[in-house]
Amino acid sequence: MSFPPALLELLVLCLGLALLLVESFTEKQDRTLLAYIGMVGLGVIFLILQLLPPGPTGMASYVFDPVAIFFKKFVVLTTIIVLIMSVDYATTIQRFVPGISSQAGLGEFFAIPILTCAGMMWMASAIDFILIFVSLELVTISFYVLVAFMRRNASSLEAGVKYLILSAFSTGFFAYGAAWIFGVTGNTNLVRIQQVLPALGAENYSAILFGALLVLVGLGFKIAAAPFQFWVPDVYQGAPTPITAFLSVGSKAVGFIVLLRVVQAFQSLPPVGDKVVAALIILAAATLIYGNLAALPQTNLKRLLAYSSIGHAGYLLMAVAGISARDSGQAVVIYLAAYLLMTLLSFLILIIVSNYADGDEIVNFNGLSQRSPLLAFGLLVAMMSLAGVPFTAGFLGKFLVFKVAYESQQFVLLALGIITVGCGFYYYLKVVRAMYWQSAASNGATIPVSGLSFATIVLLVLFTFLLGIFPQMATGLLR
Amino acid sequence: MVTLNDYLLASGLLFSLGFAGVLLRRNIIVIYMALELMLNASALALVGFSRFHVRDGLPDYNAQIFVFFIITVAAAEVAVGLAIIVALFRARQTTRVEDLTSLRF
Repeated sequence: MSFPPALLELLVLCLGLALLLVESFTEKQDRTLLAYIGMVGLGVIFLILQLLPPGPTGMASYVFDPVAIFFKKFVVLTTIIVLIMSVDYATTIQRFVPGISSQAGLGEFFAIPILTCAGMMWMASAIDFILIFVSLELVTISFYVLVAFMRRNASSLEAGVKYLILSAFSTGFFAYGAAWIFGVTGNTNLVRIQQVLPALGAENYSAILFGALLVLVGLGFKIAAAPFQFWVPDVYQGAPTPITAFLSVGSKAVGFIVLLRVVQAFQSLPPVGDKVVAALIILAAATLIYGNLAALPQTNLKRLLAYSSIGHAGYLLMAVAGISARDSGQAVVIYLAAYLLMTLLSFLILIIVSNYADGDEIVNFNGLSQRSPLLAFGLLVAMMSLAGVPFTAGFLGKFLVFKVAYESQQFVLLALGIITVGCGFYYYLKVVRAMYWQSAASNGATIPVSGLSFATIVLLVLFTFLLGIFPQMATGLLR
Repeated sequence: MVTLNDYLLASGLLFSLGFAGVLLRRNIIVIYMALELMLNASALALVGFSRFHVRDGLPDYNAQIFVFFIITVAAAEVAVGLAIIVALFRARQTTRVEDLTSLRF
């Protein structure tokens, strides 16, 4: 019996809705149980994804190719780790959500990420502007709720409003661009668009380019590319930390798969495709410079990670801009895999430490190596990998991206990339210096870590090294 | 006779109005209205393209399906968005963007 792949999203959706139902009918039950049910359910989905072979789906707007499978596994894994973080973060949520019982809001905080995950899985498979638009909005609207979740916390609310306005703004661009692309090609399906584009008359070039650039602006907001990045630092800093991690890994990754598919479709018409690539190069250059330079003076680790995520979007855009090179898609995939490991690792440790120290500032990490050697080592590995030290996953990702830039002969971008890696070393090592060379200010006690988080940290560290030392593992990601 | 260009001109005007509204107005509710205007501009463009893109004597209904999804999504977005703006108003007693500055460094 064959298992229809499109059922997976529905299963995830049902899981999320079931958790909401259970939440409303059990009042006394400990809410963290819901998070554990969610993790187990998503684990099962991950196993099914591991077993399903890629193949035709019989649907025009939905594909199940190796890239889609990779991104589905990626977002399911991200959601599981976000749930693990949310359990650690539950005390902070309880403090800032008003309600009759002390557990008010926790159930929703564990269920909505699962609904978001379903939207992201749809995006990974979508090749029709209608499906892309609807799944993108499912993800975005769930994020509105999640970012503004802590209603008693002024910065969470403010971040929510900023995210709301700027996301809706980008949606407007995306929809208007899709409308123009439909107007010129008569299709909303990317495969059909790719087929009809070469037959297009030259008088339509400016109209289709207009549509493509508008879609690019819309997606630029989602992946946090400069000059559409100005919402990122504020929203990342104000949102609940597990949601910040979810935004910076999950939301960015699915933005990139849509971008890859759209850019790929336009390559069939070189006069327009080349201009789209030129726009991508400008975006990549601006993003690399802004993300890495603005990160230099930061003293708050959460905000630093926000700028770092902008910088990494720059490297990923470099790989997308090199779409003419053979390995462009593969470089994006491997870079994202490495990005998942190191970013989630840093956010997980940030949550544990800031829960204890009650702050996200880098000074809160002073002397961490004496207090909790494991946490310090985990964050050391994450920072090394983010900076791109050899034998870590981050190095492999950067190496492949630079290789793609070299093969597609974008030497300016390549030079910029290498210079900004140097900037990266400075601000990532600032955190390492605080942990290993500064002495702790006051309480020198060991920070308690729950068993589940401990296991996750160990696994993430292990895979960061494995991917860095055995790069051939990475090619298995796209079997 | 109304041509495709007229529809596109109207939708372009709507989009520009929305765009300018988002950038220039200072009240979050008004900004939110401007955002809806931008979505409606794309809906109008899609309907116009659909009407003038005739296949087998019928308009191309693909785009009209898209319009239904845009309307639905916009409604969902308003429901969640207004709830967040109300929550902000209750916490801060303001709907002006100048007052949202606690997250600057």
